[in-house]
Amino acid sequence: MPAHLEIIGARKAFRTPEGGTMTALDGISLKLASAEFLTLLGPSGCGKTTLLRTISGFETLDDGDIVIDGVAVTQMPAHKRPVNTVFQRYALFNHMSVARNVGYALEIAGKSKREITARVGEMLELVGLSGMGKRSVSQLSGGQQQRVALARALAGKPKLLLLDEPLSALDKNLRQKMQQELKSIQRELGIGFVFVTHDQEEALTMSDRIAVLAHGRIQQIDAPSVLYQRPANLFTADFLGESNLLPVTLDGMSAHLADGQSFEVARPSGKATLLLRPEALAVTPPAGPSLSFSGRITQTYYSGKDHQIALDTGQLGPLTALIRTGGTPPEIGATVTLHAPAHGLHLIDETAA
Amino acid sequence: MARRFLTLYGLLFFVFIYAPILLVVVYSFNANTVNMMIWSGFTFDWYRQIFGMETQVTESAIYVDSTDQLYAAIRTSLTVALSTSAFSTICGTALALAVARYRFRLAGFYRTLLMVPMIMPDIVLGIALLIFFITIGMNLSLMSIIIGQSTFLISYVFVTVSARLAEFDTSVEEASADLGATPAQTFRKVTLPGIAPGILGGWLLSFIISMDDLVITYFIAGTGNTTLPIHIWGMLRRGIKPEINAIATLMLLFTLVIAAIGLYFRSRRQK
Repeated sequence: MPAHLEIIGARKAFRTPEGGTMTALDGISLKLASAEFLTLLGPSGCGKTTLLRTISGFETLDDGDIVIDGVAVTQMPAHKRPVNTVFQRYALFNHMSVARNVGYALEIAGKSKREITARVGEMLELVGLSGMGKRSVSQLSGGQQQRVALARALAGKPKLLLLDEPLSALDKNLRQKMQQELKSIQRELGIGFVFVTHDQEEALTMSDRIAVLAHGRIQQIDAPSVLYQRPANLFTADFLGESNLLPVTLDGMSAHLADGQSFEVARPSGKATLLLRPEALAVTPPAGPSLSFSGRITQTYYSGKDHQIALDTGQLGPLTALIRTGGTPPEIGATVTLHAPAHGLHLIDETAA
Repeated sequence: MARRFLTLYGLLFFVFIYAPILLVVVYSFNANTVNMMIWSGFTFDWYRQIFGMETQVTESAIYVDSTDQLYAAIRTSLTVALSTSAFSTICGTALALAVARYRFRLAGFYRTLLMVPMIMPDIVLGIALLIFFITIGMNLSLMSIIIGQSTFLISYVFVTVSARLAEFDTSVEEASADLGATPAQTFRKVTLPGIAPGILGGWLLSFIISMDDLVITYFIAGTGNTTLPIHIWGMLRRGIKPEINAIATLMLLFTLVIAAIGLYFRSRRQK
């Protein structure tokens, strides 16, 4: 697939009010295939919003290039770039009706009234706001404003849609509904989406690929399942989902945990970290070789379908596990033994930053 | 008990503020031609007289020298106020935009410099302007009044528009650019409508202050350029006359109407 958006060695530093400099983008390169849903995920201050703003043209790069459909847009002002943005706080034009908001890009482009009306109707239908064109923006609920912002950004048929934490102001139910809708709209239109969020669940459910950012660098860029199951480094493992990270020593044939347990793994000797997701631990031992951990339950949380428990294993430290107990809740203070299959375990090299 | 005391205190406070104004309005309808502090019946005569209509007032009680002079003063004041407020609104708005939007050295200092004329004592500003105009050899005229008043009215517009700009969300300007609008289009279609209430407010404020200014204008008016406040001041020097109450009441009404228009537009915007 041809690269639709390409960012090559993007660098950007800001001057802080104290006179120092803050590196927001520290050499970022990535490629986006057309019709791909890419999420930029990271903690606040990781550079994800800055990266998005350099694509839209609101920030200029200190170094590097941005290419959209084979055209370098690095020096192009925002209003000439073939991308549109859905802003975090929507940034709707309060003095205009819903229809004029949605038709703004077309009005600017000098399209005919009839063409604008047709396209606005089409867009309002797409986002489920048919017949609301005449309303004032301030009469709408947060969720509806969100839809207007989306319709407005899509009306001008951008080659690429940028979304800056667009769902963060919505409540949980509405957010999940919008996640599904956004995803289906993206499939329907077949254009690339670059979506910024700090919500990992949102990133995992919606994206084709996720770029995990920290300290202005891409830590890892991969499909959600790969990121979750085989994180490349400790940051990604820790940032994405709950994780138990246990140090192991390698002797070339197997890995040894601090409590003496070991499992076979073909790796050069040295040190590494074992990633054990909470759901990998179970009360009943699996068939075949397994690792087991005994300990006292120190905390329990009930999540609706299973119990999350915190286990103090003594030598290996605290562990988190998600277990299905079929009605009887685990008791704090009780001692349990949990098991994990000893194959397919993921090790993170100590050298990975 | 404490509650009742507070109510009484509140009442007295408003009497303290509004009683003098109310008195002027009441006096303007008093038929007593000799002593306006003694009520001797209701009349519209003082208003009729201002408008040059027939009255039952005896010749000896007529004080207004000539309605023509009064009208000329009103015309002068309106000319000055319209020009000054238009000029101040354009300059003040441009300044507010510049200070709010561009990062430049000494921005804070400029902001302070722009506020100073508001706290400058009128008499100092009046004398300073007079000396300045004489120094550069400019004749005192309507022009000198317009320039002189603008020097401090720009500050009022600057402050009013700045306040609006401070709460104006700049992300809508980014949204406009993002959707393809050039900076000029963005300014016309998004920025200007967004800060319009502030601009309108600044314009009305500068218009009212200009209509009302006596001290500064008195210094720089020269002869033959009598504004309404100067005219009234001149009338007062020959004794407090009942017509003055009527003129004051009309000015009050005029100001209230302008303020009401401002409030109306403001509430419409916020809907």
